[in-house]
Parts: sequence; C-alpha cells; structure tokens
Amino acid sequence: MKHDISFSINGERVRLTVHSHQTLLEVIRSELELTGAKYGCSTGECGACSVLLDGEVVNSCMVLAPEVDGAEILTVEGLSGDEELHPLQKSFIDHHGVQCGYCAPGMLISAKALLSRTSRPHEEEIREALVGNLCRCGAYADIIKSIQVASRARR
Amino acid sequence: MITRKPHIIGKPFPLVEAQSKLTGVSCYAGDEPFGPDLLHARILFSKRAHARVRLRGVEQARRLEGVAAVLTGREVNARLGAHIEDRTLLAVDEVTYAGQPLAVVAAESPEIAMAALATIQVDYDDLPAVFDVEAALAADAPLVHPDMTAYPGFDQVQAQPERNIAHRVLLQRGDVDAALADAAFVLERTYTAAPLQHAPMETHGGVAQQRERELMLWLHVQAPFLQRQVIARALHIPPQDLRIITQCVGGSFGSKVFVSVEALLAAIARETHGRPVRLHLTREEEFQAIFMTPAMRARVTMGLDDQGRIIAMRAVYDWNVGASVDAFILEMQRIALAGTGPYAIPNTDIQVNAIYTHLLPAAPMRSLSIAQMHWAIEQHVDELAEMAGMSPLLLRQRNLVKGGDQLFSNFIMHANGLESCVLETVRAIGWQPERDQDPSGPVVRGKGLAMGWSPIIVSPHCKSRVTIQCDGDELCSVIVDGVDVGQGYYAFITQLIAFELNLPIEWITVHPTDTGNHEPDWQAIYHNLLWSTGRALLQAVAEMKRQILSYVSEMWEEPMSNLDIVEGEVISYATRRRLSILTLLQEGAGEGEPPVFRATGVYEASEQDDRLENILQSYAATGYAAEVAVNLETGHLTVLQLAGAADVGHAINPEGVKAQLKGGIIQSISLTLLEEMQFENGVPISIDFMSYPIATTADMPQKLHPIVVEIPQSTGPYGARDLSNHVMVGASAAIGNAIYQATGVRIRDLPITAQRLYDALRADS
Repeated sequence: MKHDISFSINGERVRLTVHSHQTLLEVIRSELELTGAKYGCSTGECGACSVLLDGEVVNSCMVLAPEVDGAEILTVEGLSGDEELHPLQKSFIDHHGVQCGYCAPGMLISAKALLSRTSRPHEEEIREALVGNLCRCGAYADIIKSIQVASRARR
Repeated sequence: MITRKPHIIGKPFPLVEAQSKLTGVSCYAGDEPFGPDLLHARILFSKRAHARVRLRGVEQARRLEGVAAVLTGREVNARLGAHIEDRTLLAVDEVTYAGQPLAVVAAESPEIAMAALATIQVDYDDLPAVFDVEAALAADAPLVHPDMTAYPGFDQVQAQPERNIAHRVLLQRGDVDAALADAAFVLERTYTAAPLQHAPMETHGGVAQQRERELMLWLHVQAPFLQRQVIARALHIPPQDLRIITQCVGGSFGSKVFVSVEALLAAIARETHGRPVRLHLTREEEFQAIFMTPAMRARVTMGLDDQGRIIAMRAVYDWNVGASVDAFILEMQRIALAGTGPYAIPNTDIQVNAIYTHLLPAAPMRSLSIAQMHWAIEQHVDELAEMAGMSPLLLRQRNLVKGGDQLFSNFIMHANGLESCVLETVRAIGWQPERDQDPSGPVVRGKGLAMGWSPIIVSPHCKSRVTIQCDGDELCSVIVDGVDVGQGYYAFITQLIAFELNLPIEWITVHPTDTGNHEPDWQAIYHNLLWSTGRALLQAVAEMKRQILSYVSEMWEEPMSNLDIVEGEVISYATRRRLSILTLLQEGAGEGEPPVFRATGVYEASEQDDRLENILQSYAATGYAAEVAVNLETGHLTVLQLAGAADVGHAINPEGVKAQLKGGIIQSISLTLLEEMQFENGVPISIDFMSYPIATTADMPQKLHPIVVEIPQSTGPYGARDLSNHVMVGASAAIGNAIYQATGVRIRDLPITAQRLYDALRADS
C-alpha cells in the first residue's frame, strides 16, 4: 500500500509517496539522499540511524515512514547552520569525539536531545543518554567529554 | 625578525577528516550516489557447515524480471587467498563452513535481488564436521582441506593436512626439559579465549563498475593494494585493470584488511554491462559470513628458580582458525615473537598452531591474539608468584626484558618503557599485593596488574610511497598508499608535512588512497604505517623542500644554503628577502607559468630473508592495572577503574594517543566481559547486538587512566612507535588477576561472563 505523506526535515517541507513497509531510515537515505543517518543493524540496537522526531531521539530504522506524516525531523545535516558548525560538532572535533566516525551522527543527535532537556548534564546523565548509541572504537570517554565541554560553552 | 612557531609535533591535533564525518558526508558503505543506473547485489550464503551442495532454480532466478546477473561456482570457479588460497570465491559442490558464498545476484532493487536468491533452492547433503580444536585433532577426524597440497601458496605454510593442522610456527632456544627439572617451582595451566567478531559499526560493502577495460571498485577497506592483488588473481584479470578507490572506513579492526565479499562484488560487476553495482551487508550477514577471530587454547608451563627467576617456559598456543588460515599467517609470526611475554627467559619452547575446523574463516583483530596470549601468560605469572610466595610485581620486575638483551641472533632489545608502564599503572590505581580491606557485605574488591609486549614487524616485502604535489590549485596535496581507519593516520601525515615544510596545516590535503594514483605495478604492503609511511614521508618532504628552495635560489641568484622556509615563506638568512609560497604557487614569480613541484618518497625494506627475527622491528610495551568489585552472591562484576599505559616512543599527537588508549580500554572491557561468538552445529547464532552484546556507555569503568610513556624509538619518525594496534595487550589479564585478588577464584577462560563467574564462585565455596 502507498501513502502520500508530508513532513519537515531539517526545516524543509517535503511531500512523498511511500510504501507501508518503508522505514524512515530508507526514506531519508534513498529518497531524500541524506547520508548522515547510517545503517548499522536495522533492529534498533546500535543507534547509528538516530534522528530527532518532534524533538525525541528515535532509531529511524524502527519507524515506518507513513508514521512521520506531519512530523518534524532533524538529521545531523540539519544540526549546523549554513556556515557555522554546531557547538557540539566543534567540540567533537576538538576533543577527539570521533574516530572511525560511523557512530558520530547518531551520537550528535542523542547529545542534541539531551542538551535540549538538560543544559548542564552530569557525566552520569550523558552516559545514560548515549546508552543506545554503540561505538566500536570505544571512544565513549572522549564523546562524553566533547558533550560536557560543549554544554559548558553554551552559556 | 625571523621567528619560528613552536612546532606542532607533540601538540594536540584533531583528526583532519573529523569535520566531514561529523556533518554526515557521504563516504561510507551504502552512501555512494550512483543514480538510477545503480544495481543492487545480494549474496546467498551456506546455512550448513559441511555438506555437499546442489543449487536448483538458478536459471529461474536469472529469468526473473529485474535480475541483471546471477553467478555461482559453476560459472566462476576460483580460489581466494593472499598467502594460501584456502577459500573459494563461490562454493562448488561442497561447503566447508556456514557462511560460505554460494551465489551472488545483481538486480534492479535489493528486494528483487532477495527474491532471486529465494528462487534458488539449496540441497544440502550433510557431511561429518569438526568445530573445536580437540575434535579436529582427533585421530579419525573428518578433514577440512584434504586437498590442501594442491592449493596455490601451499608452500607458504607448515601444514599437516591429514591432521587438520593448517600452519605451525616454532621458536625454541636452550633446553626447556633440563631447566624445568632444575626449577624450584613448576606450574602448568591451560587458558582459553572464545572466538569473537570484529563487529565494525559499518558493515562490509562498496560499489563496483566495469568501465571498458577498467574494473572500478569503491571500497571501505584497509589494504587496497593487497585486495587488488587477491581479487585480480581470483578473477584472472591483470591487477592494473582493477582500480580500488578507498572511501571512509567505518571501523575495520582487521576485518577489512583481507578480501571477503569484495571479490564477489567485483565478479558480479563484470556481468552487468557497465552498470554500477552496490553491495552493503546486513548486520546479520556481517555476523554470519564475515571473518571471526580465532578461539585460543594456551597450554603454558613455567619454571622458576629459588631466586625468583623464570628459567624455563613451554607454551603451546592452538588457534581454531575455522576453514581458512590465510588471513592469520602473519599474525602467527607475531604470536611466536611475543610467545614468552615480556620476559627474558633462557630456555623457551614456543609452539603456535593453527587448526582447521568447519567454522568461519579467521582473521586477526587489532592485536587481539597478542592480548589473548597475555591473558594466559600474565595470569600464569601471578599464579607462579603466589606459588613461590613472591609479589607479582617483584616477579615481573626481576624477569623483564631490558634494553640491550640479546633476544634473537640478530635482534637486541631496544630501550623500552616496559617497567615504566607497569609502575605507572600501579601508581594510578594504588595497586598493592594484598587486598586492602575485608568485605563487610557480599561485594568484595580487588586489584590486579598485567603487562604486555607486542611485536611490530616490517617484512622484507614492506613498501610504502608518498607523493606530495604543491601547485596553485590544491596548494599541497598528498598521495599515500595507506588508509585512515580512524586512528589518525591522515592527521599524522598532515602534522609531519606542516612541520617539516613549515607550511600552514590548512594548505595540506591528504587524498584517500586510490590504486590508480600509483604506477600500475605498485604493490604497497605495510604492517606498520607509522614506520613505513613515516620513512617515505620524510624523504618526500626533504625533496620537496629542496625543489622549492632550488627554484627560488635560481630566481634570486642566491646560494640555496642561504635559504629556508619559515611559516609559508621562503626567506633568505643572508639578504632578508622573503617570498610567499602561496604567491609563488598561485601567481608565479615573474615570467611564465607558476611552478608545480612534485616530490616522491619511497620506503622499501632492504633485501633480506623473512625469517622471524628478520621481520621484527621493535616491541610495543603496555601495562594495565584494574580494580574490580565482585558480588559473591550473584557473580556480578564491575570494573571500577582501569589504567592502561603504552610506550609510544614519542607522542606526535598526544591527545590522539590518549584517545586510542581510552578506546582500547573500552574495547578490552567489552572483549573480556561480554563478547563470545556462539555457534550451533557450526552455524553462527550470534547474529545481532542482542545475541552478541558489545560495550556501551553503561559498561564504562568509573575511572579510566590513559597513561602515555615515551622512551624514544631511535629508528621511528621523531622517535615514535606504532600504537593503535597494540593498545589492548594486558587488559584482560589485569582484570582476571583483580578478580582473583578479590575472590580467590581464578578464571582461565574468556569471556568472564557473570554466569561463568557465578559458577566458579559456587564451585569454590
């Protein structure tokens, strides 16, 4: 079955016809050609495909595309402005929050959601917010530090 | 005044590619934009470990609408391997492991490709199989590769096909039996480690396209030149007709060095009349069909004299390499060279065996095998110390290899940080030989230490090349033959060039490796990028500097010896003249076109034979100390703190070094406590991150202590020594030793799951 849906992604309105079985991740990657959200497991275990759906972190591989009709979606591509990097991105660069980089977009999305809830999170809160984002390089300590520094710099 | 900025070697330096990775740039598997012409490949893998197979319905699959091509072993009967060709591209009549490719399909969509695979029926006629080392070595065991002697590359291994022994490396000296007879204390123990998965977050994949003669491959791999050679040989095409362009690598850890599904992608793209084909494995396929790391069984005997000196050691390291030893051959040399642990022992007998079974092919993982053998050695040393009533720290200090020790006929140990590493970690967590408190509840605490060494090898075939071009368009572009997998290789290159040529770092662009950028016959082989690229780089920058200064010297009619490059300008110390290199490159100087400078540096190991001690370049030293808390009633284990120290010679990028160390600590905790690849009748049943959990932020210790030790390596660039491959060595044993101090229970099998610890505690009480 096909569905006509419309939603906003990174501030832009899009209209699409999608199949019932298509996931949000497939639509983002194949139809909208945004590559920031990554395929990692397709079972919601790794967080590489994390996006914000109406401000909440979701694994986009676990969301069916028809469900996002009318929603607002943010992917890592929408994090930075046209010129300036987001403070989180800058901090990830400065504090080695990225090694192979595959998990990085998902980490940034989870961090962004955390900082919108809690402006100065403790280390424990950051660990908890990232528990659904796997990093095989084991860069967690530097990712946490990157987020902490970014949160302090915000005000 | 002419001043120099403080130099950037030894200063914090971010990954040069970090920004693009953090903004969602398309450079990983599955990202490649190829438009509507793109076809999608899927692979049919064997679901049985050992069976005769017959495929039915292949013709029907070919005739399905939207299917562009189907290949089976009938059409492409090829063997695959870098050293010994003990794998097949596609199985013919018989499978020797579950996960072995049977057919590959290219179709208009992934769904159609799936439908085509579903059309193919596989008839299995099961044959007897072996899955563990004991069964494989039994007298009447079924043979995994009875025809091994006929495989190309059979002369590369010391094999006994009739016993399932795939390869063997021996390293002996002195008289072990006599020394053991004289020893005051003799201890014999067996330790094991489970098979694991590399599990990079990016699954294997890429795109291939036939463009007239040239077969193009866009791959996310670590060793493009090795892959080119192996794929070209399997497909019977000249290597120069195959071009591999590397893209971002979303984690490899050793799984993307040797060829796996890339060869199938190349094969199917030759059948699609020039249309590009993409392959991107699912997570389940990644688990079920890509390499495992081999399980280890280590039987260790040490003899100690009454002065606390280890006078003899016998160790047999058996590795279950599944149905292929090819990717593990070089690693076995490293295992033998590390075989005694970092101790100077006069009588040693080290035996390293690879045993064939009907499991997934094995590939090494980030010095994991060296870490696993230290799991055995470093717990053994603690057990020996207890037997002799000595402090484990003192026993280690008394027996450590020291700079100047003659280890092999032509290898004298270099100055090293072994002792500093262990002492720094001991200090970091406050380790003591005795437990420092009595338990008041069910939770007990304990601390343990371990050390490690990891051989850095550079074989006689090692080659590396760097070309730097300075021109008005790209300023300084760099062509290398290694690949950055997140360890900071491109950052290192950028730092080195910026420092040596005294140019702004923004001018320097390192291009992803493309086999087409090198002469057709170039075959880069490297085991140590810092060393081989570093050597080639230093040559290239010296030549580049000479070219630029010589050009300006002619122009100014001044001797070259007056001139230097300072912060992007050529200056004359004699006349104080200055010329911006940017202006020179973009506008030229005076008449004619702006100059283009191009300099190449090559490192090629000098001719020598590849006996073990000849390929040994140095040892990386590590030390670990752990504090754990164990709940005696439940077996629940918490790593409270973990200190890891590594001697890197000279930290060219100190924060980068610490990032690697911290990553190694987390990965070690994951491998030590959580990970085990499980099989049922040889079929992997670890298929996702639920059945194969890896460490998350919830598994982090409360405190991590990354410690950088710097004892310069005289032969390395700026005294530096390779690190990222060695960071895990010693961590598991430190945790094992800490558990023993806490509970009095010795765990000798990895991983230390809560269940295993609980069972051991119950058995003990």
